[in-house]
Amino acid sequence: MKQLSLFLCLKYLGGKKILLLSIAAVAMSCALLITVSSLFTGFIGAIENSADEHLGDIVIGAPAAMTISKYDRLISSLEASDYIEAATAVLSGQGLLHLGKGTGDVRAARIWGIEPASRSKVTPFANLLIKHKNGTEPPTLTAADDTDGIAGFVGIGVVARPDDVTDEYDFKQVNASIGRRVFLTTGTRELKPKTIKFAIADVVFSGVHEFDKDFVYLPIDVLADKLYPSQGKVADMIQIRLSDGASPESALAVVRGIWRNFAQKELGWSNYAILLTKINTSRQMQAKLLAEYKKQMGMLMLIFGVVSAGVVLLIFCIFYLIVITKQKDIAVVKSCGLSSASVGTLFLVFGFVTGFIGSGLGVVIGYLFTKNVNYVERLISVVFGLKLWKSSTYMFTRIPNQVNWESVIWIGVAAVFAAAAGALIPAIAAATVRPVKILRYE
Amino acid sequence: MYKFILPLRYFLKRRITHLAAAAVALCVFIVVVVMTVMNGLVSEFKDKNHDFVGDCIVGTDSLVGFCYYEDFLSELQKHKFVQAASPVVKGFGLLTQPGTGQNIGVEIIGIEPVGFCEATKFAQTLYYHKDKPSDVFSPTYNPALAGCVVGIDMISGSRDGAGKYHHGPEPLQIELMIICFPLTARGALAKAGTDLVNSKTVYYSDDSHTGLVKVDARTIYLEFKLARELLGMAGATPRASAIHIKFAEGTRLKAGVGKIKKMWNDFAETYADRQYANLLKNVTVQSWLDYRRGSIAPMEKEQTMLILLFAMLGIITVFIIFVVFYMIISHKSKDIGILKSVGVSRIAVLQLFVVFAALVGTVGALTGAGAGCVFLAKINDMEDWLFERFGWQLWDRTVYAIGDIPNDIEWQVLAVIIGAAVLAALAGAFFPGLRGSSKQPVEVLQVSQL
Repeated sequence: MKQLSLFLCLKYLGGKKILLLSIAAVAMSCALLITVSSLFTGFIGAIENSADEHLGDIVIGAPAAMTISKYDRLISSLEASDYIEAATAVLSGQGLLHLGKGTGDVRAARIWGIEPASRSKVTPFANLLIKHKNGTEPPTLTAADDTDGIAGFVGIGVVARPDDVTDEYDFKQVNASIGRRVFLTTGTRELKPKTIKFAIADVVFSGVHEFDKDFVYLPIDVLADKLYPSQGKVADMIQIRLSDGASPESALAVVRGIWRNFAQKELGWSNYAILLTKINTSRQMQAKLLAEYKKQMGMLMLIFGVVSAGVVLLIFCIFYLIVITKQKDIAVVKSCGLSSASVGTLFLVFGFVTGFIGSGLGVVIGYLFTKNVNYVERLISVVFGLKLWKSSTYMFTRIPNQVNWESVIWIGVAAVFAAAAGALIPAIAAATVRPVKILRYE
Repeated sequence: MYKFILPLRYFLKRRITHLAAAAVALCVFIVVVVMTVMNGLVSEFKDKNHDFVGDCIVGTDSLVGFCYYEDFLSELQKHKFVQAASPVVKGFGLLTQPGTGQNIGVEIIGIEPVGFCEATKFAQTLYYHKDKPSDVFSPTYNPALAGCVVGIDMISGSRDGAGKYHHGPEPLQIELMIICFPLTARGALAKAGTDLVNSKTVYYSDDSHTGLVKVDARTIYLEFKLARELLGMAGATPRASAIHIKFAEGTRLKAGVGKIKKMWNDFAETYADRQYANLLKNVTVQSWLDYRRGSIAPMEKEQTMLILLFAMLGIITVFIIFVVFYMIISHKSKDIGILKSVGVSRIAVLQLFVVFAALVGTVGALTGAGAGCVFLAKINDMEDWLFERFGWQLWDRTVYAIGDIPNDIEWQVLAVIIGAAVLAALAGAFFPGLRGSSKQPVEVLQVSQL
């Protein structure tokens, strides 16, 4: 008899088309929250990774107006540690770039003096070059012509501008710029502007607007000779790549120790100057900005979460509607011997099942949308002519499309429980239906 | 009368309708708060851009600039709809602070202070020379020196955690060197064969706070003639990069820009045979909105995306109302049967439920809107309290160039939101209402159905 009652119950509930509405609502909210969370965490992760890729894992930054001489010895000491795989020196500055004869094109540029070979060990720099991308040899910065043999790399944004509609670079224009002679001027402490003429040996395209828009890379010795002619080889930044599996915290302590020893013994720096030296992981350097992005993500999730709470109300209404309209049926099955607890549990289970199916659908939709967000964006751009994502606004050429599985799990589980919560009161109402009251015929 | 009494009675007696109203209220509350803040941010940003450039800009992107701007200025000044017009030179330079070895690439904007302040709201962005912008390039500590105005975010440490900028009673005497590549009218280096660059020492005279991050962090303002000299735009045929124009009050933006376009086309045609006339071909006439489109468009797109997302979530509210009405109407079969049996038409029954839905929608929307308004009125106080107690801010003011959280309610937007909520309620109730109104008294009033 109980089995018959159960069968009837399942038939009454299973045949309700309105349940599809609650499943659809759960799926929509779930998909929305998963997409928002994944896109945000993907964006935050992309910022962290781009910093790692461009700066290495740990950066030693000299105090303002100070430089690190004899950096080769420091790099040797660092590379002798098991924690460190490679290190490279950088001398940074800012300048003004004139892009060659008759172009009338002048722009502000950030200059980095680098050693391409060691830099390729610390960052995937060689893979970012357009011409020498798949070269077996590390990239070099030499040119045998009227530029005194000086060659440099420039960010793709220096020689081209992405198309307003497609946000893509014209690679014909970019390739044509390779080999062009350009002028770079930079100021020095002695207040004498220095101009460097160099040939563009290659173009760097990292896909990160910040690093593509205005960077100029020159040989570190050439830049040091122009900026600090009396100091020899100097750098103001040492970028470090950690060995596989090395903990950044432990490595940071090791690097600080090596630096202190080097600065005291080799450079003769005071304790104060050593203290002023900034030694941080590249992620720590982004921490303030990332904290803001995480806060914005939290706010957005809260807002959408609160609005999605409407789904609980919807499920409550739908289940309540079922209970009210099926009171007679509930009374029949109860009169056949199904207990109040069983009826209540059945509704609750249906709440769970609704949530489970809805959240499963939501996860699939959220996953598909997130993974294909670049195609969707392209489609909107082609169909409506509306370019939603531009690297100049959102830093990256492509929308980060990594699904955040951690949030998928908690959003999915929350959706299942939210659906069950919505079904709770109707379940109690169903359990308390009195057959004698409902089935009497007066 | 029953069309109003019955809905009111249903609304007061049936608790489930309160749930529907609560769902509408919640949705309206969130939309009002988010849209007000977002609208505030967008319109504030637009206003800042407008204040920065004036109403209309005749200019070129080319760093070479264009000639004969003085003649066109004279033309402009003959027309009453042009209240003010001022030439500007723009270019890039390298700013160095002696002794520090620190360089920073900056955008140079050369202005005639009086004219530029008439054409734009530049004077309001200054700190020390707000009331007398004509002296902005004369440092108060030594008016004989060549002064400069720097973007406020270029002065490190002037901003505190609450986003407030601090100034001393007088500007500090800071020496700066500006280095530029002077360009010829053909885009070549004017000093090719020598040291290639022009340099000039200038002194900090004031700072400008436009509220536009990219401008305040990377712009230095110089006296027009000095900037023109540095960038190589002086000489026998002087050049400028742009003319900023303010229209007289009552001039509509589109009409004003249209007139200027026509004037410019005629002007360019007249000067077509002159030397360097090719530079005139690169000149465009744009309204401030088009000129700053690149900066404004992303914010507008984000606003649109947010509206779309809320519209999607609003559908859930429509569903809730649908289910609630379906439930109520299922329960009111007897009432419908009785009403119809005493002669009430199908349309009238439908009207009854429409009024009921409008009541639910209106009460929910007004409750949500009221709560939203109260929340917005207190939002900055709440943020201040949270910052004082817990150090929490909605936006870290050291990272974002945002002052107070915008909380000016736009009544038109509020009306649209309330209207949309009522319409959503009507949409949700329509099909259940239609179904209820089509019930036959003979069916619903038979004893077996009671």
